[in-house]
Amino acid sequence: MLEGISAKADSAVEDTLREDTEPIIICREVNKWFGDFHVLRDVSVEVAPREVVVVIGPSGSGKSTFIRCINRLEEHQEGQIIVDGMELGHDIRNISAIRQEIGMVFQQFNLFPHLTALQNITLAPSIVRHRPRAEAKEIAMQLLERVGIPEQANKYSGQLSGGQQQRVAIARALAMEPKIMLFDEPTSALDPEMIKEVLDVMKELARSGMTMLVVTHEMGFAREVADRVLFFDHGRIVEQGTPEYFFEQAQHPRTKLFLSQIL
Amino acid sequence: MAESLPPMSGHVTKPTVHNEAYFDEPERRRPPITVVGPVAWVRSNLFGSTLDTMLTVVGSLFLLFTALTLLQWSVGAANWYAIIFNMRLFLVGRVETFLDLRLSLLALYIALVVGVNLAAWSIVRARVWQLWLAGLVSLFVIPWLIEASIALPPTYLGAGQREIVSGSVTTRPLERVAFIGRSGEEVVFTLAEFASEEELARLSSFTDVVTNTLRNAARNRLLEQERRATIEERLAGQRLTERQRAELEVEWAESELPPPIRETHQVSAAPVAVSVRASWNDEVLASGLIGSGDALRFTLPQDGWYMLEKHIPVQDESIGLLAVAGVYPIFDRSFIRDGERVNQYVRATDRLLIEGGRPREADGGDMLMLGIIDHQYKGLRGIDEYLRVMVAPFLQQINRSLAAFSAFIALGYFGAAWLKQREERFVQTVRRAAVWLWLALIPLAFILIIGVGESGPIQASDPQLWGGLLLTLLLTTVGIVVAFPIGIAMALGRRSSLPAIRIASTLYIELVRGVPLITLLFMSTLMVPFVVPSLSGPDSAPYRIMIALILFSAAYLAEIVRGGLQGLPPGQEEAGKAVGLPAWRITLHITLPQALRAVIPALVGQFISLYKDTSLVAIAGLIDLTGVATGIAGQTEFQALRRETYFYIFIIYFIFSFVMSLVSRRVEASGAGAVRRE
Repeated sequence: MLEGISAKADSAVEDTLREDTEPIIICREVNKWFGDFHVLRDVSVEVAPREVVVVIGPSGSGKSTFIRCINRLEEHQEGQIIVDGMELGHDIRNISAIRQEIGMVFQQFNLFPHLTALQNITLAPSIVRHRPRAEAKEIAMQLLERVGIPEQANKYSGQLSGGQQQRVAIARALAMEPKIMLFDEPTSALDPEMIKEVLDVMKELARSGMTMLVVTHEMGFAREVADRVLFFDHGRIVEQGTPEYFFEQAQHPRTKLFLSQIL
Repeated sequence: MAESLPPMSGHVTKPTVHNEAYFDEPERRRPPITVVGPVAWVRSNLFGSTLDTMLTVVGSLFLLFTALTLLQWSVGAANWYAIIFNMRLFLVGRVETFLDLRLSLLALYIALVVGVNLAAWSIVRARVWQLWLAGLVSLFVIPWLIEASIALPPTYLGAGQREIVSGSVTTRPLERVAFIGRSGEEVVFTLAEFASEEELARLSSFTDVVTNTLRNAARNRLLEQERRATIEERLAGQRLTERQRAELEVEWAESELPPPIRETHQVSAAPVAVSVRASWNDEVLASGLIGSGDALRFTLPQDGWYMLEKHIPVQDESIGLLAVAGVYPIFDRSFIRDGERVNQYVRATDRLLIEGGRPREADGGDMLMLGIIDHQYKGLRGIDEYLRVMVAPFLQQINRSLAAFSAFIALGYFGAAWLKQREERFVQTVRRAAVWLWLALIPLAFILIIGVGESGPIQASDPQLWGGLLLTLLLTTVGIVVAFPIGIAMALGRRSSLPAIRIASTLYIELVRGVPLITLLFMSTLMVPFVVPSLSGPDSAPYRIMIALILFSAAYLAEIVRGGLQGLPPGQEEAGKAVGLPAWRITLHITLPQALRAVIPALVGQFISLYKDTSLVAIAGLIDLTGVATGIAGQTEFQALRRETYFYIFIIYFIFSFVMSLVSRRVEASGAGAVRRE
């Protein structure tokens, strides 16, 4: 199933998992089809708390679908996904409760354009967590401070640059105090100048100990921040390992081909 | 890429601002006026191509022609009495008089709320207030100026024993008429003399039926004369076929020139005996024989009714035409106040109001008064008489209500603006109040219009009597306010994942949209009593119609809202899910607000068309604005004034639609909408 994993890669995985006992995300033999199209094939992976996992692969390889399955924006059809001890299945009642533990950042930001940056951030906490208005606002301001744009608090998303929008989106996800953050190509829709400001925020987040699952084409980011890199192709995890292993000693010919084309 | 990333030290560095101008930006230069100025605008928009030029020329000629025709008619010929006389009917229909005060209160409350809202969303520029104030002052100043500078034309009254026949009209001068006057006013009687037939034909003033008939007869004679002259001219010409000549000869033979009116009727040939008596004690105030060149003047001692007697003392065939200054036609209205019938008489030219006390004939019968119906302004006016006779009285009629309405708008506006300025946190309070005041309008309108109980200050009104603008606005408002939530529910229902809800919503929408509104109106008139027996009486007709309008507009609103929801990117819903909001919260806080904002133009379009469609209820038996106009135009007195009547409701319909679309544009451009316009 996990093809091309060397002994060294195995030890690298163990290395990162060592400090924590229970994995926070467990995927076992996950399969998914869009109609007849087999998007995910027997994907099995475990993510430990505070681990940063970067998912890379060619477009159409199923990497986005995979992380969207983890907060059930997509439903998997076979296998098991267990997030923070709760299994995602058809009979799941409080999917909203699980989603509150998982922050997500989208490629297209998906800010709510009818709300200001601040309102984008306070909306969910004040509704779901019943946080008082003043408190929600204070936390939101702290988050905006953390992502570096407190001065944009009262602007609408239409008035913000792409990079600023994405940072507000990150702050919005963090406002729910999630245990896991999913990033679905967060920098793909950005100008090169703005990519850096978003990546800086993500790096800071990784350093603070957040569990992160990041789909990205930013190899620099993967190399610098990732604890582990997963390489997807045709809905399978073709190869995985530490960044050092992945970028220098990848074994599988598909991985080598991919890396040779992008590096 | 990896090399370009700087080392991180715990906290994120503040990124540079991107929109700051570069310090080495090249010097800016203004574009020449032919590129961005008015010249360029005209050139590119009006005369861009040959087609453009043609359209511009033809279009502006057409507009100019239409405007001039309309203006000429409005100034020269239109008699707006039908409007001034029926103002109450147009506004509220035949509602009981105890509603007047309540409806005024409601209107003033609405003015207050409008004022508060204007302040809350700060959408009025200072200049608008100045203009408004100037307009308001001019409403009072202009009539005063007009009255001070332009004299009223005289009223022409016929006297004599002779019957006058013109076409199908046969009429005889009245011997006695009653008029109203004010203390201290001077009345002057002279004999009207006409140097020629043309002068009589051109007469334009307040005329009684006799004078008007003579005037028309003189005009017809002149027209006939003209026609015969044309035929003669053509017969004298050479280029005529045998057949054409024969036809013209027949026409000539058949035409008949009436005898000269002025001479055959001996207009103002004999002196007229005039006497005026006070109605309260029958005392003769003035009397005299008025011959050529004589003038009888006297001053009225007090406000009230006077009786005028006029006749030609010698037995002859002449018709005397009196030109009277100081006596003018009267509107007559009658209504029930506190169970008693009240008659009010209002002078057309200055709104002098006398209540009751109308004098009676010696035999106890009603004495004829100088009623507006028989003593209208006739003939083609000049602009000065138009201002004096039509504009000034109309402005005087509306200026007080407009001033009161504006005062309450200002009260709401400046009150709210003052609160807003006092403290930052009051801004939100004022905005919330602005919304709540609108919501409070619903129960308030309910109590003030419908009312409760048999008696007392809020006694129930009879829904059958609601009419005019009141009914039109009532139907529209109910149709919008009630249908809107239903429409949203249907839109969501049609997108529901539950088949039962989806099919039911779809079925409802398609069913209603597949039927013309008029059918639905009749259906509801017949079917609603079937389903809800308590709505079967004639006094619940407006409610049955309201149900039809609600059902109708809900279906259309549902499709508009659904279009808005359909147009949203799926990422919005996903983002809502991703932060853990339950489905209904996503709809309420994320998708619906965006969808509604996106479809504001279509929504307002639907509101406006509902507003206009309420005119159809006239067919189902309600007397809305259109119903009132049709009713008025059907009365013999106002048959000749149909044009004025319909033109008036045309303006009223337009004003309200225009306000609606103005408000919608403001709403569109507010909040996040302002961003998207940039």
